[in-house]
Amino acid sequence: MGRSKCNIVVGLMVLIFLLAQGAQAASYPKAVGFVNDFANVLDQRSRAELELITQKLRDEQGIELAVVTIATTAPEDPKTFITGLFNEWGVGGPEDSGLMILLSLAEGAIEVETGYGLEGVLPDGLVGAVIDQEGLEHFKKKDYAQGLVNMSRAYANILAGEEFEIRKEKTESGWLSAFVIFLMIVVLLRRARRFPPGGTSGGSGGGHRGPVIIPRTTTRVGPMRGGGFGGGRGGGFGGGRSGGGGAGRRF
Amino acid sequence: MKGAAKVLLIIAVIVIVLGAVVAGRYNRLVQLETDVEGRWAQVENVLQRRADLIPNLVNTVKGYASHEERVFTEIADARSRLLAARSPEEQMAANNGLDAALGRLLALSEAYPELKADASFIRLQDELAGTENRIATERMRFNESVQTWNSTIRQFPMNILAGMFGKQPKAYFEAAPGAQEVPQVQF
Repeated sequence: MGRSKCNIVVGLMVLIFLLAQGAQAASYPKAVGFVNDFANVLDQRSRAELELITQKLRDEQGIELAVVTIATTAPEDPKTFITGLFNEWGVGGPEDSGLMILLSLAEGAIEVETGYGLEGVLPDGLVGAVIDQEGLEHFKKKDYAQGLVNMSRAYANILAGEEFEIRKEKTESGWLSAFVIFLMIVVLLRRARRFPPGGTSGGSGGGHRGPVIIPRTTTRVGPMRGGGFGGGRGGGFGGGRSGGGGAGRRF
Repeated sequence: MKGAAKVLLIIAVIVIVLGAVVAGRYNRLVQLETDVEGRWAQVENVLQRRADLIPNLVNTVKGYASHEERVFTEIADARSRLLAARSPEEQMAANNGLDAALGRLLALSEAYPELKADASFIRLQDELAGTENRIATERMRFNESVQTWNSTIRQFPMNILAGMFGKQPKAYFEAAPGAQEVPQVQF
C-alpha cells in the first residue's frame, strides 16, 4: 500500500515538473523563419534584404542567422532571453553554427548570441565591435531596420571570410569624424588630380588620437531583385545550441 | 516435485525481473551522474576561458594605470588560486575570489577615461562579459543536472539503490553574492 501511495506522489511530482517546464517553454514565441519581426519595425525593403542575407548565408556557408525583434523580453533580461530563445529554437543545427540578433524595444537592447560552433570565428570582442560600428548609431536614431541590416551584412561578410576592421577608438562625435573623413577625401582628391594614376600612395593619417579611417568592406546593396521569399522556412531550426556567448549593448 | 519446480520457476522469474529493473535503474543513475560530470566539465571550460582572458586585460589596464600595483597582485593571486584548484568545491571558492578581484579591476577603469575609450579594452570587456554570460549559462545547466541527480537519488526506490552503491547528493554551484551582475559595457 505504502508503495503505491509513494508512486502516486512521485507521479504527481513528475506531472507538476512537466507542467512547470511546459509553462516555461511557452513564454518563447515560435520562429516564423530567419527574420522574425515580432515588434514590427521592419519595412518591406529591409525585411527582403535581411531574408536575402540570411538565405545566402544558409545556402553558401550552412550557417543559420536568426534576426528577431520583440517589444519586450520581460520578465527576463535580454541576455537570458536570447540564450533561452536560441536554445529553444535550436538555431544552427547539429553543428551549432547559428547566430541570433535580438532587438528588444522596451529595454533598448541589442543582443547577439553565437552558437557553440561559431565562437571561434566570431569572438565576443568582434561581435561587440560590429554592434558599435554598424548598429548602435542607427538604433540611437530609432532607425532599427538599417541597423539590423548593416549588422547582419557585416556578420555575413565576416563569416564569408572577409576582414572586419575594428576602429582604433570610438569616435568622440559623429560630426568630427565626418569632418576628418571629408578633409582626407579632399586632400586625396587633390593629390590624385595632381599626380595621375601610378603616383604616390596617399599620406598616412594624422595624430594617434584621430579615428582611423577604414574603407568599408561592404558595398551598399542596390535596388532589390524580386520580392523576397514568401513564408521563409517556417521555423526550420532545430538542434543548435549556444552557451551565452556573444555581446550586447543598450541604446 | 511438481510444486517445488513451480516455486523454483516463480523465484527465477522474480529474480530475472528484479535484476532487469535494478539494472535499468542503475543505468539511469550512471547516466545522470555522467550528465552532472559533463556539465561540470563545461563549467570548468568557461572558468578556464576567463582565467585565460585576465592576463590580456591586466596588461591593457597596466598601460594606463601602472601604479595600481595592489589590484594587479590581487588579481594575479586569485587567478593562480583558480588554476591550482582541483576539486569542484575548491574551484567554486577560487572562482568567487576571482569575481571579487575582477570587480575591483573593472571599478578601477572608471577612474581612467582614456582606458575606458581604448578599443582593445572595449573588446576585452566584451570578451569578459561574454565569458561571464557563459559561466552563468553553464552554471545554470550544471545546477539543473545536480538538481535532477539529487532529487532522483532521494526518491523511492532509487534511494535504496543509491545507498547500495554509495551515491551521494552533489553540491550546487552557488554564485558569490553580487557576482550575478554581469559587467555591462556602457556608453
